[in-house]
Amino acid sequence: MSTATHEGDNRTHISLTINGLAVDVTAGMTLVEAAWHAGVPGITGVGCLEGVCGSCRVMLRRDKVVSVGLACQTFVESGIEVIFLPAASAPRHHYDINDFKDSWDIHARFHSIFPEASRCRHCHGCVGACPKDISVEDGVALAAQGRYREAGEAFFECVMCELCDVACPELIAPAHVGLFSRRITAHFHLRPPNLITRLEELRQKRVEMGEGERDED
Amino acid sequence: MRSGILLKQALESYRSDADVGPLPPPVDTDSLLNTFHPDHLRGSVVKLGVGVNAGDSCQRDLADLLQTEAYIDEADLAGTPVTDVDVLVIGGGGAGCAAALAAAEKGARVLLATKLRLGDSNTVMAEGGIQASIEPDDSVQKHIQDTLRGGHHAGNPSLVASMAEDGPDVLRWLIHLGMQFELTASGDLQTRRAGGMSASRLVYCRDYTGLEMMRVLREAVTQHRSIEVWEQSPAVELLSNEFGLKCVGAVLTSLIDGQMRIVRTRSVILATGGLGRLHLNGFATSNHLGATGDGLVLAYRIGAKLCELDSFQYHPTGLVYPSHLSGKLVTEGVRAAGALLLNANGNRFIDELQPRDIVCAAILRECQEGRGVRIDDERVGVWLDTPRLEQTQPGLLERQFPNLMSRTKGSGLDPRTQPLLVHPTLHYQNGGVIIDASGASTVPGLYAVGEVAGGIHGRNRIMGNALLEIICFGRRAGYAATAKRDRGPKKVTLEHINQLRRALTLAKMPMTRRAPQILPAYAKGGLWTR
Repeated sequence: MSTATHEGDNRTHISLTINGLAVDVTAGMTLVEAAWHAGVPGITGVGCLEGVCGSCRVMLRRDKVVSVGLACQTFVESGIEVIFLPAASAPRHHYDINDFKDSWDIHARFHSIFPEASRCRHCHGCVGACPKDISVEDGVALAAQGRYREAGEAFFECVMCELCDVACPELIAPAHVGLFSRRITAHFHLRPPNLITRLEELRQKRVEMGEGERDED
Repeated sequence: MRSGILLKQALESYRSDADVGPLPPPVDTDSLLNTFHPDHLRGSVVKLGVGVNAGDSCQRDLADLLQTEAYIDEADLAGTPVTDVDVLVIGGGGAGCAAALAAAEKGARVLLATKLRLGDSNTVMAEGGIQASIEPDDSVQKHIQDTLRGGHHAGNPSLVASMAEDGPDVLRWLIHLGMQFELTASGDLQTRRAGGMSASRLVYCRDYTGLEMMRVLREAVTQHRSIEVWEQSPAVELLSNEFGLKCVGAVLTSLIDGQMRIVRTRSVILATGGLGRLHLNGFATSNHLGATGDGLVLAYRIGAKLCELDSFQYHPTGLVYPSHLSGKLVTEGVRAAGALLLNANGNRFIDELQPRDIVCAAILRECQEGRGVRIDDERVGVWLDTPRLEQTQPGLLERQFPNLMSRTKGSGLDPRTQPLLVHPTLHYQNGGVIIDASGASTVPGLYAVGEVAGGIHGRNRIMGNALLEIICFGRRAGYAATAKRDRGPKKVTLEHINQLRRALTLAKMPMTRRAPQILPAYAKGGLWTR
């Protein structure tokens, strides 16, 4: 008995190349599935298979148009060339959140950690690269103005694929600017009364029980 | 040909405003579970023949994996480069990162080795939230009671107490690292109540709680000066001392070039996660690609005792279609918001907010008794009636479930107009390596944290306790692993593997298959079909 599927015409054959190998697959497959199906070797940059871990970064060429994306969320198309990208290189911007004692000097610190952030030339490379449609450029501009809460909000859906970092000619590392903005917003400003109250209750209980202070932190 | 109504037919007769009929009278839950839950499938559970758990019940596919030949023997260690560190963490998810950060806080030199990329884990996919008793009408005691009751009283009360007591401090630690949560207008942490909770206790970050947690932890780890990270570096074996009695390191390999490396250390922290990608009993899974149960295999071989090896959580609502998301979750929140489950005849068949194991068994009953919606011989499910939800609460799906909407968008499926076809999916390993309150296993020098550890969730985990567990026990193990200051290992051997081989031979077990599995067969570059 023939089977009806949601997929419609999934018997259509599609030819494309993955990492330089000619591959013959059926329509409806994702690029990850196509690579597995064809036995393309060395595909180890795959993680969650639902578009939230940012591992399976690919570069695609349709005719003369080059783009990037996530292989587990991109479907096969005839004639495209696909290259699975290697993992991102080590970060160039270094900071330790424990070093930040005073929130008044955070703006100066931001610009010393990310000196390139104020040099955006508005090329839209990062915006085009983002598989989550984040307004990356606006987010970086907000951070450079010291508006970290809003900047972090712009990066809310960031999946850490770091494709914007690759796309940026000024080496701004927008994904890390976004994450920095989100982290210091929580680090300095999240002081929930219900949590603080409960922590204090538990501390007093430990003192009463004679357990003393915790030495953990 | 198996029974059921074909998809096309079922779709044509589906109406989002049709009468769904009355809810059938409740059946005896014990007999429902015993007849239909996958843990009780006939022939799915066997007794282990070798190792410290010999004689205990274990799921069949897992038992096959635990009693297998190793990849390496002592000849492979000769000439292999050696790295010395204070603490080795195996696994780069939430638990591994928390353990590495905690050990580094205490001044240890830490090596974190992970099979895929740092952050590739089930943590990143967790949507619901993290439990901590912080509301005035809630208490640590209530959290303990709910967790034990949810686990059918099979959990270890002292581990559960440690976790519940740590809850508020875990949130403080995460906020210090820079994790954001939803707040009320007055700045309190927003909480909500989910299945099995006696108070409002789940804190969250929209439906991306795990992603927010994982990217913060990942950044903190990569930025830390005394944590070194090796990606694409799965562990193939643990190392023991000359008596095979103490864990003194591990042998790692590289997915890039196959080079093996010996890591010599005082403490190994296993944070390798679960085993959904073993597709137990033939089920699809919600898990990420690396969840192949490697940690259980490594720990069992070196003599660590395991528990609840026959108990797994099957999440009721895994997607059947679109196929590339097969087994991926539709969060319980959609049912909590009011979405109904309907069989192929368009009738309700279970109270949708019963515990996960019961809803799961009821869906399997509908499918087996011919009331499922069938795509082909393999794929069958029931409707999750999202269009009706959209009709009664317009805009709700888009507002509250952006993750669900953006995932289905690419495949031309709109949950607002077409119901989702769902089937139970392998979600979580309830048991695992037996640990104490510091995360220590029964083998000296070996710690286990996160999903690979057992004893906390009993035989059923309630929502929000997984994200709490990984941070709580990750930190505890990280601190404990640095506390012991002996002089480190003198000899690193595979004595425990020699002992395993003797036991397998005596038990007349086949030694053809090798483990750990590292990647599912379909991802190893072989021919693959959906």
